[in-house]
Amino acid sequence: MPRDDVTAETRQSFTKVGTRPLRPDGVDKVTGRARFGADMAAPGMLIGKVLRSPHAHARIRSIDTSKAEALPGVKAVVTRDDFANRTDELRDILVNVMAREKALYEGHAVAAVAAVSAAVARKALRLIEVDYELLPHVIDVEEAMRPDSVLLHDDMFTAGVDPVPDQPSNVAKRCEFGHGEVEKGFAEADIVIERSFRTEASHQGYIEPHACLASVGADGQGELWCCTQGHFMVRDTCAALLGMDVSRLRVIASEIGGGFGGKTTVFIEPVALTLSRKAGRPVKLVMTRDEVFRASGPTASTSVWVRIGVTKDGRITAGEAVLKYQGGAFAGSPVEPGAMTAFACYDLENVRAIGYDVVTNRPKQAAYRAPGAPMAAFAVESVVAELADRIGMDPIEFRLKNASREGTRSAYGPTFGPIGLVETLKAAKAHPHYSAPLGNNQGRGVASGFWFNFGGQTCVSLNINIDGTVGLAVGTPDIGGSRASMCLMAAEELGIEYDRVRVIVADTSSLGFNDVTDGSRVTFASGMATIQAARDAVKKLCARAARMWDIPEDAVVWEGGYAKPAGANAGDFQPLSLRDIAAAAAKTGGPIAGHWEFNAENAGPSFATHIVDAEVDPETGRTSILRYTVVQDAGKAVHPSYVEGQFQGGAAQGIGWALNEEYIYGADGKLQNPGFLDYRMPVASDLPMIDTVIVEVPNPGHPYGVRGVGETSIVPPLAAVANAVSAAAGVRLTSLPMSPPKILAALEAEKGAQAAE
Amino acid sequence: MAGHHVSTTINGDAFEFVCEPDETLLDVLRDRLSLTGSKEGCGTGDCGACSVILDGRLVCSCLVLGAEAEGRTIATIEGMADGDRLHPLQRKFLEHAALQCGICTPGILVAAKALLEKHPDPSETEIRYWLAGNLCRCTGYDKIVRAVLDAAAEIREGRDAA
Amino acid sequence: MHNFEYHRPTSVADAVQSLKGAEDGKILAGGMTLIPTLKQRLAAPSDLIDLGAIAELKGIKDEGGMITIGAATPHAMVAESEVVRRVIPALADLAEGIGDPQVRNRGTIGGSIANSDPAADYPAALVGLDATVQTDRRRIKADDFFKGLFETALEEDEIVTAVSFPKPEKACYAKFPNPASRYAMVGVMVARAGGAVRVAVTGAGPCVFRLPEMEQALSGNFSPDAIKGIEISADGLNSDIHGSAAYRAHLVSVMARRAVTDCA
Repeated sequence: MPRDDVTAETRQSFTKVGTRPLRPDGVDKVTGRARFGADMAAPGMLIGKVLRSPHAHARIRSIDTSKAEALPGVKAVVTRDDFANRTDELRDILVNVMAREKALYEGHAVAAVAAVSAAVARKALRLIEVDYELLPHVIDVEEAMRPDSVLLHDDMFTAGVDPVPDQPSNVAKRCEFGHGEVEKGFAEADIVIERSFRTEASHQGYIEPHACLASVGADGQGELWCCTQGHFMVRDTCAALLGMDVSRLRVIASEIGGGFGGKTTVFIEPVALTLSRKAGRPVKLVMTRDEVFRASGPTASTSVWVRIGVTKDGRITAGEAVLKYQGGAFAGSPVEPGAMTAFACYDLENVRAIGYDVVTNRPKQAAYRAPGAPMAAFAVESVVAELADRIGMDPIEFRLKNASREGTRSAYGPTFGPIGLVETLKAAKAHPHYSAPLGNNQGRGVASGFWFNFGGQTCVSLNINIDGTVGLAVGTPDIGGSRASMCLMAAEELGIEYDRVRVIVADTSSLGFNDVTDGSRVTFASGMATIQAARDAVKKLCARAARMWDIPEDAVVWEGGYAKPAGANAGDFQPLSLRDIAAAAAKTGGPIAGHWEFNAENAGPSFATHIVDAEVDPETGRTSILRYTVVQDAGKAVHPSYVEGQFQGGAAQGIGWALNEEYIYGADGKLQNPGFLDYRMPVASDLPMIDTVIVEVPNPGHPYGVRGVGETSIVPPLAAVANAVSAAAGVRLTSLPMSPPKILAALEAEKGAQAAE
Repeated sequence: MAGHHVSTTINGDAFEFVCEPDETLLDVLRDRLSLTGSKEGCGTGDCGACSVILDGRLVCSCLVLGAEAEGRTIATIEGMADGDRLHPLQRKFLEHAALQCGICTPGILVAAKALLEKHPDPSETEIRYWLAGNLCRCTGYDKIVRAVLDAAAEIREGRDAA
Repeated sequence: MHNFEYHRPTSVADAVQSLKGAEDGKILAGGMTLIPTLKQRLAAPSDLIDLGAIAELKGIKDEGGMITIGAATPHAMVAESEVVRRVIPALADLAEGIGDPQVRNRGTIGGSIANSDPAADYPAALVGLDATVQTDRRRIKADDFFKGLFETALEEDEIVTAVSFPKPEKACYAKFPNPASRYAMVGVMVARAGGAVRVAVTGAGPCVFRLPEMEQALSGNFSPDAIKGIEISADGLNSDIHGSAAYRAHLVSVMARRAVTDCA
């Protein structure tokens, strides 16, 4: 959707950007040739396996590895003793990688072996004797917050509280956001609704388990091949944990089989490197699916209380939320972004969100697509739907009346620049889906969502080859088609064909530091660096043309892929193509390359509005998703197919989280469903087609107006589906997942309540 | 517990290998024969990333023993293209952007191929139920289903024209 | 997996011989349950006897109003069989609803019933349709075959060779699949044959069971209304992470009514 207030720089017509060419890595991925984390082997390679705690909480008195070490074929055994202790910010990562004093959750690594075969390695694990002193455990967020709860860490004192508490607790941190006077706002309201909501932990569910191949030589130099969202982060973290110079470790990112945030930290990589260093041979370590569930990071489970007040004519007077997120055994649940995003869609005078970051005996949570935001949106957007219903206003009209727009002071502080929430709401309202008729037992839900998006440290190199083709090296793993976007942007700037650019994800020794692929940052930040690197190359190409023509450099311009004299005064020369200049490079000064390195800012937040129709079987409580539409602001869709793919993928994950997916714990603190048989992610037959509408409100922080799109799409679905199910069932559902027994129970309770009236 | 000597046909080529009784067909393909196109996403037959066609039937190779391959015929993702000519499904997956990360793609392509060999004209619903044994976490399946529909139409047209 | 000796006999007699000779032998049929079990080390047999190469165990025969399915016949073959579709469509439907294509292509009827998984579909078909299990040495009525949780009437070294289903007048299978595994949370086979009605329930209890009260009611009046008032007790029913015993009891009523409705 065009706007007339965008900056001159972002108002641009495109010849490549916005088209849908085939992705450059496509053939490899449809023929089985692409190499993922577990697809690599090395001469003399050993197989690594990890021993994990069978207990939710236990003191580790001792670990006896002597029998395992004596087993023929075992080349190395490592435990906590092989990792130097730390007290800095990497302490939690270290302790999560290999348990120290205590096993803090079922699945916590306590030892690892490297052996000549998987069978020998597994046998060796059974020979390791760990003496555990069992401790009581806590799994639930509310229980963990009680003053008499079992404590995970004796040295955890709640941060963000004044005065600092004198007693340790499981609350790592309290945070608060907002402005205005909430109580005054509620006093002005005609209707106030408050409710409590629960969500369960769900897993990112990438199909590729964590995998790596580590090799450390006797000279102390190492190489690591792994599937990760950020190989520079892996390098720096592993080097620190192993006490190596960063320069002595080279990390190569394999193709990555999904991450969604879950591969933004290290789990097995430091272990494999330590095993390899000890054994003097390469070590391959691959998690099983069971290990992925038990020992990598799902997202937080949450308990959220929301109160919102409105006037009869539909103006929100105040919003308040208290969010409690447990993030597993270590501090760092995404409650802060949860509290920041909760009311981001609304222009509020009075707003307050308080968050508590809580630890429990569960695996350390990892980022999951817009970390923290979907749970907060579930609570807020559910109450918003209920309020619209109560005052008899169309839910989109209600949102439009209160929507954040340019100039709104956001609930988390900053004032919004140009944003696209209103545009997504209008497009949703105009979509045929929104006015389509519904049948019996069917309901329609709407919800909006917000995500900040991120820029971050980025470094790119662009090399002009002798034949005029281009090699582009980026440092952000391609997790969903970003290579295609990079090629499009480079081709756009250079004025050459898309398929003359070849892009690689370079290893850590070939580029400066790049932040992980997270925060929906790659097309934005690596894209911007690519554009700038191309512009840098263009400057040099113009200089070479100037030298070839023997005119001043500033007398040459770059237009449509050609160097041309800037005007009649510059002289009369035939334009030189990129290919012409490249061919002459050796004679005009040598290789031509463009570079860019920066810390990208102004990522440009993104908003979405989702519409979903659900049908509830009143006899069984089973829900079917009938129709789904995603409307989202992409700023500028560089490759629209992959933008749509991000919209659809986020919606599908959200549907799974809303209806089925959950970590289920037994009374023993052990995970009951660590496999796809019992942890159900949506399959093709669970879903309808997912319609998409790309809204384009350019981001002034990017030369093409790009906004990140990867994460926002998972923010609205929990609420949208809950609103649809609640409408279909005639009763408000406040606890996820909305499994059939839960919905049936709600229906029966409602029936009982009606009968009592 | 002797190793088993197994003779089998994979993608039209004769293969011989020795495997332990407890090795799965997927282990053999990946670790002994370097056919790493089939992926291990779960090892319990629930994700479909290891799908291969065994004697004409779609199966999860992680739940087949290597020893069971004796005398059988196996088709994997590596045999789907004809030299440098992609199978219509492979082409349509690229055209429709039906893959994001690509880890489930080999299994889904093999599954879709098995479907089209049986049902050249499947409905959207038939495709969805047929692919219910193949998890994809990236795409939400929309573009996958469209790619299969489109490939089926192209294959049918090709047949009609021939 | 623990290591084991792998056998690939080509006749039932050889398979029985191998089983008798093994210290702790197990039959490998489709392996859909067995191989994951071995991988989790929940079983550690000394020997695995693969039935995959025994031609006589595969196939579907129409024997004059009786459908006989070889024990090593995969679910997909039952689902696709024109004979089964024509004679007992409910059985074809049931087979088509098991798992996913990869499971249906490997999993076999013999393997399914010999395992007697409480959430498997086939036990409801066998009991509901009054089938007979043929083994290498005898015939066992379905009512006598399923004994309990993962327990059957089979002897240690006995091998299922086929299952015979008489043709019912009417039969329908209604299933509430587990949203995760698509095993039956509750599956009810309702069948009418020779004036008698059978109602067999899988998924709800430790083992497939019949509902005499419903059978009686339906014998008099074969309509969903006839069983509307029949309460199913949750006592002894399965309770797990996916649903309580009470929820399953409720589903039994709903699925039974739906099966009867579908018969109309």
